[in-house]
Amino acid sequence: MAEAEGIRVDIEAVKGVIEEKYNNDPENVIMILQDISARYNYLPEETLYVVCRELEIPISLVYSVATFYKAFSLEPRGKYIINICLGTACHVRGAEKIKETLEQRLNIHGGETTEDLKFTLDAVRCVGCCALGPVITVNQKAHGGLNRAKALKVVEKYEKAA
Amino acid sequence: MITFTLNGKQVEAEEGSTILEVAQDYNVKIPTLCNHKALEPAGLCRLCTVELFDGRRTRFVTACNYPVWEDMEVKTHSEDVIGHRKMIVELLLARCPNNEFVKGLAAEFGVEAPRFKLGDDDCVLCGLCVRMCAERMGVSAISMTGRGTDMRVETPFQVKSDICQVCGACESVCPTGRIDVRKIAKYEPRPLVSDWDVGLKERGAIYMPFPQAVPLAAVIDSEACAHIRTGNCGVCKEFCEAGAIDLDQKEEIIEVEVGSIILATGYDLMDTTPMKQYGYGVYPNVFTSLEFERLSNATGPTGGNILMRNGNGELTRPPESVAILHCIGSRDENYHKYCSRVCCMYALKYAHLIKEKVGHKTPVYNFYIDLRCFGKGYEEFYRRCQEEGTIFIRGRPSEITDQALTPKEEGKLIVIGEDTLMNRPCRVAVDMVVLCAAMEARKDTAEVARIFGIIQGADGFFSEQHPKLAPLNTAMGGIFLAGACQGPKDIPDTVAQASGAAARALELAIRGTVEIPSTIAWIDPDVCEGCMTCIKVCDYSAIEFDQQRGVSVVNQTLCNGCGSCVSNCPSKAAHVWQFSEGQILTEFDGIMEGLQAVGM
Amino acid sequence: MNKLQSEKDYESVRDQVKKERDPERLLVSICAGSGCGAYGTEEVREALEKEISKNGLKRKVEVKVTGCHGFCEQGPIMVIHPEGTFYPKVKPGDIPEIVAETIVNGKVIKSKLYKDPVSKKRIAKEEDIPFYKGQHRIVFGNNGMIDPTKIDDYIAVDGYSALVKVLFSMSSEEVISAIKESGLRGRGGGGFPTGIKWETCRKAHGDIRYVMCNADEGDPGAYMDRSLLEGNPHSVLEGMIIGAYAIGSHDGFIYVRNEYPLAVKNIGIAIKQAEEYGLLGKNILGSGFDFTVKISRGGGAFICGESTALMRSLEGQVGRPRAKYIHTVDKGYRDSPSTLNNVETWANVPIIINKGAEWYASLGTERSKGTKVFSLVGKVRNTGLVEVPMGASLRTIIFDIGGGIPKKRKFKAVQTGGPSGGCIPEDLLDLPVDYQRLAEVGSIMGSGGMIVMDQDTCMVDVARYFLEFLQEESCGQCVPCREGIKRLLEILTDICAGNGREGDMELLEELSGTVSKLSLCALGGTAPNPVLSTIRYFRKEYEAHIYDKKCPSGVCKELFYYEIDEKKCNGCHICCLRCPQEAISGEKKKVHTIDQEKCIKCSICYESCKVDAVAIK
Repeated sequence: MAEAEGIRVDIEAVKGVIEEKYNNDPENVIMILQDISARYNYLPEETLYVVCRELEIPISLVYSVATFYKAFSLEPRGKYIINICLGTACHVRGAEKIKETLEQRLNIHGGETTEDLKFTLDAVRCVGCCALGPVITVNQKAHGGLNRAKALKVVEKYEKAA
Repeated sequence: MITFTLNGKQVEAEEGSTILEVAQDYNVKIPTLCNHKALEPAGLCRLCTVELFDGRRTRFVTACNYPVWEDMEVKTHSEDVIGHRKMIVELLLARCPNNEFVKGLAAEFGVEAPRFKLGDDDCVLCGLCVRMCAERMGVSAISMTGRGTDMRVETPFQVKSDICQVCGACESVCPTGRIDVRKIAKYEPRPLVSDWDVGLKERGAIYMPFPQAVPLAAVIDSEACAHIRTGNCGVCKEFCEAGAIDLDQKEEIIEVEVGSIILATGYDLMDTTPMKQYGYGVYPNVFTSLEFERLSNATGPTGGNILMRNGNGELTRPPESVAILHCIGSRDENYHKYCSRVCCMYALKYAHLIKEKVGHKTPVYNFYIDLRCFGKGYEEFYRRCQEEGTIFIRGRPSEITDQALTPKEEGKLIVIGEDTLMNRPCRVAVDMVVLCAAMEARKDTAEVARIFGIIQGADGFFSEQHPKLAPLNTAMGGIFLAGACQGPKDIPDTVAQASGAAARALELAIRGTVEIPSTIAWIDPDVCEGCMTCIKVCDYSAIEFDQQRGVSVVNQTLCNGCGSCVSNCPSKAAHVWQFSEGQILTEFDGIMEGLQAVGM
Repeated sequence: MNKLQSEKDYESVRDQVKKERDPERLLVSICAGSGCGAYGTEEVREALEKEISKNGLKRKVEVKVTGCHGFCEQGPIMVIHPEGTFYPKVKPGDIPEIVAETIVNGKVIKSKLYKDPVSKKRIAKEEDIPFYKGQHRIVFGNNGMIDPTKIDDYIAVDGYSALVKVLFSMSSEEVISAIKESGLRGRGGGGFPTGIKWETCRKAHGDIRYVMCNADEGDPGAYMDRSLLEGNPHSVLEGMIIGAYAIGSHDGFIYVRNEYPLAVKNIGIAIKQAEEYGLLGKNILGSGFDFTVKISRGGGAFICGESTALMRSLEGQVGRPRAKYIHTVDKGYRDSPSTLNNVETWANVPIIINKGAEWYASLGTERSKGTKVFSLVGKVRNTGLVEVPMGASLRTIIFDIGGGIPKKRKFKAVQTGGPSGGCIPEDLLDLPVDYQRLAEVGSIMGSGGMIVMDQDTCMVDVARYFLEFLQEESCGQCVPCREGIKRLLEILTDICAGNGREGDMELLEELSGTVSKLSLCALGGTAPNPVLSTIRYFRKEYEAHIYDKKCPSGVCKELFYYEIDEKKCNGCHICCLRCPQEAISGEKKKVHTIDQEKCIKCSICYESCKVDAVAIK
């Protein structure tokens, strides 16, 4: 938790990415935000201001983009981001139940982060592993063919790793 | 040109126009919500949906942005269209069931109670505010954030925006009244107030100067106009059907050659704020005479209703009692010694108006030093006001306060003074106080006097050449005075003086030539050193410098032959015709000889 | 690597690559698609390579990690060529035996073979498995043969030969007419004829044109684009270069979901390799034609699969669609003419060029040509990617290829076309699948998702589910979509919670009409499809929910309860042990009962009962 409050944003690094990798081109704003998000697990407020200054676009546009796309969060997220696939294939195979189980286990709702900042639970729509349903991904690694017990095991594995 | 069928009739339209534009040309009313003349059509509210038959199938398209094409068939009010529009309105009403605008819209479409669960929003997300801010103002202080049902209009991070220029365009286009620029902008909005209504009324950056202005054309406040300041906006152009708005217009200096000039620059009303004892600017219901004039005027901010301010500064209810204080800044050793001449009569007029408009029982107190009702019919009017029950108290009040001493005074303004006729102090509690502020010379009088080479008197007004022999003239030939720029005067006096000044100007114009005195100055160019001393000393600005020859030259029509240049010219190049040094010395010799001859 | 400068250079490289392939050498192909990957391909590969080097077989055996084989249900999949021996669900522990028996001795391990769930027979070869047998894999065929990170693998199967053909022996017009003649239609959803799209774009005003690949596969239940990009990225790239040549474009974009990390990686590698070979970039193969491709990663918005929203997103803006009264082929990305096709469409292009438009047009139905990849998922035995000619019947796909419904459950419906599609009931199972026929029954082709539903699926809940999805994904700018979907969902949620009222179905239908006709873009325009198609075919289920307050499928928790059938219960006690709420009581070998107060309807007992004694009431 201490880490969350003290997240330090390396503004120079952000500027560097914007300039070198993305050429200060406003068309790349979504990918720039993705890179920031990949680094901090969310979009710290000050980084949005850096982006708006470097790309010379209004902050309202950056903010609109950040709130429009699902990939972005303005709140700090956990070390492990669990995406529960609620795609149709997973839905008909009982993804709702996996969601309920994990919500109970981690004591948070979808879209929330545990207090120790270990896990964020998100419901997403189709991760493209439909044959494996129900599926969850943890930091983009897919775990398929789940039932309640298997889902709990996956979480336990990451809990130990953390 | 494109021909197509609109509601069964053949219509013609220019290529590139939208169905909505063509419908408007043909007086077919299509409802809109998110459309605005000054913005790109967005097609978000879908209220302008019409039915389109393209030869194969029927589709529904939005009229605001669908371009017309040859032979298409459009129905703007088919049963289906009306049904779908009603559903849209029903959805909006379910979203904003308590919003007056949406309720009105629903009534218009005959939608009663929505069949859905009721929300409590005030925003229909038409996006007009956001688009206005981005498209026309180039600012984007607000935007549409989130998506789907979470979409909102807001500033980034819901923090008041520091890039918002507080222009209020968002607020002006919001149909539901949800947008409040004060909640968006970090900086306080500075309302633009009407000079004509002495700040009692707000106005736009583009406005009519006053109701009987000549020419009666709108003007743009260049300091407030977003276009002139930033190059954006320009919304007014979209609305002016006459195409009369030219935002690129620049101020220009026009040179006109004239034979004579009449100065009628008027006066300033004295600022009574420094007179702390009267509380102007502190107590909201202390007004100046000019403010009261607008309040009582039918074209004024209240439409002629005499109203006082409530706690929020809004003019709401009529006063129950009024005090009118004469000679504020006039006949006062600390401000102006002179009498402003008009206050007594307008104060009487105000008393009369209050009685007439607010009610005959409304107490009106006139605090005066002397009542100067010298004009034709004035005294009779004074009598009438006395008969109407206006109370006259002789004595200039010393203070106005809101510190009540008795419960009766609570919430009132108390005028404290001395009734010099009764020789006793007095306190009068009233709702409203009118200060008859002094007329004073305009602030720019000295500057104008310099430009025209005329003289400013000790009272600050322009000086006439002679109070009795030349009251319209100035010391400068061809420049005449009219009205209050010469000294306080009322309307009849001003009209009389102005007519005289006009006659003086015509006198010159009809003659076509100017007689100049024979005794005017002349500078000998062969002797002049070009030191320009003469130019500095000339009271009539009659000497100019000829850059080419490097000598001073006298303008013969302006010169009055006073001789200042002659006596000050170091090189003795200046002379006055008929009064050359030789002539004077010769005359002198003659005088001396004469004196000798008579033995003196 | 030297840049290829001419047609000849390409041919010599291709011949060289082919020559290096030893037909005698054993090839072990392991699927590393996202599906198999999740089941542990990486561990299997490590074990296999270790085992091979332990046995000194490195020269004799080549291990190839390939893209998706399609039969994701059975992952990780291993195929040993040239025999084509197919081992499903391979675990690292199986490796020593496979190496010893099959690789060294050439024997088939019968116990590890695929067992057909219908005939219960073990099947050795990939092509004999019913799942593959019924398919016609022209787009997907090479996935199992190619390591997607190696351009040479693609060239070895004549990859880029279509590009060579186009660049050196066809004019742009000829390419366009070939595509037109082939009858190829967009595989992304709309089904617009690709050739006409290209032609309009070519003829549009302006000097700069763009081509784009839509890899923002957002339909839940569809993942063929993902598998193609992961498994055979060069085929997509080749299609795009050919398209660019035909249209006269020099800049291309691939807009891919950031949720598909492997696809992003593989297409990135493919672009780099193609550039190194001179198949992308300036002066391609010395032909004078220039074309570059950039990858743009999407931010996670279903709506960005819509062309105008995608282009706005490419421009770095919020992905809200605009009215398409002026088409994107005239004014798209940066207001220039732009052609957008999806992954599968692009992958079809080289095939058409190579095999000819006529051959291609011979596949499929009258107005839908070629093949279509479907992702067959949900309550079906053989889930995976299925490529069949247009016009194959739903029954063929679901029962012959898919093996029918597992666990003795009954088929109820198949949902096609993603969230905007519809649910097709059992009596329409013989429907030939093509664009027209699906539209006729109230569904759409979409990108090819095919979700099978059985008796345990509640159709009202399915409609609610899709509307929930669409509400979340609606961009929110236009009133009918934003407010209308919200209200549709509200009514459906009420019905599922037992608060349905008389007139709800009529209101749903009326509101659906407005939403579908007045919405700005196709998302809103098709959003009511799940509602309308379920009302149309499963009206009785709605009526049961609204009037009887019952959910016959046992999904809507407020509307059913579980009860143990006294006649069927054999007292095995399993339900009692598994019940998380301790709501089931009963002694072994005696009839059990459920305490309704305690039951949370989690369905564990229902799913675990071996004798189907737990009934939905």
